[in-house]
Amino acid sequence: MDIDDILREVDPTFHSVPLEKRDLQELTRAWVAERSAPELLPWPSHGFFERINDNIKRQIERVEDMTGDMDPKTNFALIVIQTELERYRYLVRSYLRARLAKIDRHALHYLSTDELRARMSDVELAYATRHQALLHNHYLSSFLSSFPPNLQNLNDSAGINMVEAPDLDSAVFVRLLRDTLVTAKGVEDDDAVTVKADDILILRWSDAKPLVEAGSAELV
Amino acid sequence: MPMYGDLGNKLVQHAKRTQNLAHLPPYQTELVRAVTREVRDLDRDVAALLEPFQGSFDPAEHQATACTLLVNHLSMRRNKRCLLAYHRTRTDKLEELVWNGTDILDMAGAQQAGGPGAVSAPDGAAGSSSLSPQEEDYFRQYGDLLAAYKGHWTDIDLTGSLEPPRDLFIDVRVLKDAGEIQTEYGAINLTKNSQFYVRQGDVERLIAQGYLQKLG
Repeated sequence: MDIDDILREVDPTFHSVPLEKRDLQELTRAWVAERSAPELLPWPSHGFFERINDNIKRQIERVEDMTGDMDPKTNFALIVIQTELERYRYLVRSYLRARLAKIDRHALHYLSTDELRARMSDVELAYATRHQALLHNHYLSSFLSSFPPNLQNLNDSAGINMVEAPDLDSAVFVRLLRDTLVTAKGVEDDDAVTVKADDILILRWSDAKPLVEAGSAELV
Repeated sequence: MPMYGDLGNKLVQHAKRTQNLAHLPPYQTELVRAVTREVRDLDRDVAALLEPFQGSFDPAEHQATACTLLVNHLSMRRNKRCLLAYHRTRTDKLEELVWNGTDILDMAGAQQAGGPGAVSAPDGAAGSSSLSPQEEDYFRQYGDLLAAYKGHWTDIDLTGSLEPPRDLFIDVRVLKDAGEIQTEYGAINLTKNSQFYVRQGDVERLIAQGYLQKLG
């Protein structure tokens, strides 16, 4: 049971909205959140992307079935479906690539602990592991192998830590989903204010993260 | 008299410049080698300095030696970071090329046509390429990796446009002869300077490869 399940239970419209539409909303939310958050967010569980993929497949088949038909009415429907399909695909593509960009940028960081590894899907994990291995190999064959052995690592933490991590203090915009007391670090002073639902705040991600995870706010 | 780290600095400057270039400048084989050599020399110095102490070095007692050691130590690490940064910048560029579907051989050709001065890699018998042999390997391997990842998302076309789709159909002008393509609405013959109204999804790759230009 995670946040999404809880949210779904308290959502009065839950049972009236068809599954496909909910999936699309969820996808859009995940996409917006992933693009604004400075760090990688957890991969959606409960077979969400399998379902998305099936939806896309089904629509593609539908398009193929309808293509032979010369009736103008079907033709119009076809264009609507294809446009929708293109947009759907764009969402998924952009979402996946936003994640991949983050993984590429801080691969060693995301591979470093089990908690962080769990945020990636199996495929992403395989990709990140392999990519990092390729890079290390490349460095080794280009110059690292002629270094003294004690300097050949890529994860030295003596002196300066070599493993770069995303900046969790960068700013994000969040919309509050219910009235909440928001505490945030300031430059000089920390502050706590009560914020009403639907208000939009700009916060450090490190302050916003607990709110988002508790379902009190969403990234915009 | 060159100082420690000068060469590393040069590498970083190359890397910085590379970030703003459309193509990949020639690999600095000599510079990379020199920086690596500097690291090895420094390491040897450290070993030589420590040798008389037989593992019982006390920094408080020999402050001058301790200072030298520290400087050497930091210089080595700095050089390493410079090398890593230089190579990472280049691999990032290479990855970008893989994503865009650019053919590496095409690029080497363009580089050669780019005139003298573009080719300075002294050790490449295949002098036309601005990549080191290792980078060529990397390029191929990353291509395989990406293909494997894409294989899980065949219906999405992961390398497709990251511009949000606005219209299903777009106007394109043909910049280079691209031959005949098959679409759901029949075959189109793409001859230079002609103009078509086509489905964006059908021609995305051709636009990325520079055969077609999107209009409007």
